[in-house]
Amino acid sequence: MQITITVNGAKRELEVTPYTRLLDLLREDLGLTGVKEGCGKGECGACTVIMNGELTASCLVPAPQADQAEIVTVEGLGTKDDLHPIQESFVEAGAVQCGYCIPGMVLASKRLLDEKPKPTEKEVRYGLSGNICRCTGYAKIIDAVMLAADKLAVEGSDSND
Amino acid sequence: MMRKSPMKQENRQTISGADFKEYFQPENLQKALEIKAEYKEELKVAAGSTDLLVANYEKLHEIEYWLDLVKLDELKEIKVKDNKLHIGAMVTHLDLMDSDLIKDKLPVLAAAAEDVGSPQIRSRGTIGGNICTSSPAGDLLAPLLSYEASFKLQTEAGERIVKAEDFFTGPKRNLMEADELLTEIIIPMTENKREGAWIKVGRRKALVISTLTLAVVMEFEGEKIVKAGVAMGSVAPTPVRLKGIEAVMIDQTLKDLDYKALGKEVKSSINPIDDLRGTKEYREDVAVDVMVRALNEIERKVSS
Repeated sequence: MQITITVNGAKRELEVTPYTRLLDLLREDLGLTGVKEGCGKGECGACTVIMNGELTASCLVPAPQADQAEIVTVEGLGTKDDLHPIQESFVEAGAVQCGYCIPGMVLASKRLLDEKPKPTEKEVRYGLSGNICRCTGYAKIIDAVMLAADKLAVEGSDSND
Repeated sequence: MMRKSPMKQENRQTISGADFKEYFQPENLQKALEIKAEYKEELKVAAGSTDLLVANYEKLHEIEYWLDLVKLDELKEIKVKDNKLHIGAMVTHLDLMDSDLIKDKLPVLAAAAEDVGSPQIRSRGTIGGNICTSSPAGDLLAPLLSYEASFKLQTEAGERIVKAEDFFTGPKRNLMEADELLTEIIIPMTENKREGAWIKVGRRKALVISTLTLAVVMEFEGEKIVKAGVAMGSVAPTPVRLKGIEAVMIDQTLKDLDYKALGKEVKSSINPIDDLRGTKEYREDVAVDVMVRALNEIERKVSS
């Protein structure tokens, strides 16, 4: 069966089966390997994407349910040479260790900062509550999100939007 | 939730052969009901899929017939009709916690929705899915019992309205027939002052299956409690409404109630089990405390 989705701004028509998860579709068919599979059961947040404006566990979406959806993955935020301010902040704050959870963390941060440009620490923790990190203990990740909020405020607007 | 075998995609690829036969994604309810009437229990019904994909982890390819309700926009509305709130079965947890109408009229349900899983789960999981999965730990179920919700079950030919307290028959079991779909949740509104409390006990704040939940809703005329709904999750094979406790509250004022005694009565009226989220003993002791906490919270809200 065929679905139409918009991924990082590009419209795609794709042939899928119901047992293709959105995660598989993004990784295998579109090569967007920034989307990670951790638990495969919606508990870890490594597979997080922004789907129609909301955080979504892509491992829990049968591909046909993504028909007509707009998807943003970490590849849609910045490139290696032109990092998004949130990505820059993660680097500067030392918030990345093994890195596996980071694409999900960055997207959860993006969703949070889009809604609340000046979040409190409590709001940051709540915004990231669906993403598990087993290395950092979260402190530096929280710092990174706060730093990103400051950077984005200085910029005035998010240049990647 | 325990995983028996290691990862995943490689495994899934090699077991093809048993392929899906039909994936139905109807765009109106009538069509969905016709499909349900024809394929009945052969169908796997997909709402938000957050339970469906976990339950069928590594064997999605074994599902032959899918009925995906995601395009039924008519089931995504929250509206008031005849002094009742009508919530479509495909309304998500996120919709519930963000809805001004729900926050204003059913704050206990809004609070429970906010405690479901994580942002990633709340954006997809639906109230109808939570009900039809019928887990004793389903976070929305105790609030629905406390608000005396009814469920509209539709077939191709007709419909029936079932009370929430009659709906659940066992762990992950309910009285739905194979040709029925849950389409609407109906909750009475009231002119009286209505206050309530929601408490979820779990090991973490996010992404946790409840060890125990409590929903208390009270209606007041002046200071007098004229109606009470007390319900708990994860303390019995189904979410339970504690009518004995409610009866003690009726026609009393909050001042008349002995909170601690009520807590103890809650303890003796539930039947929890030992599992990996908590022991029977732990749940019984916590039940006393959460009841006292809930009543204190309602007292605070009423007096403010």
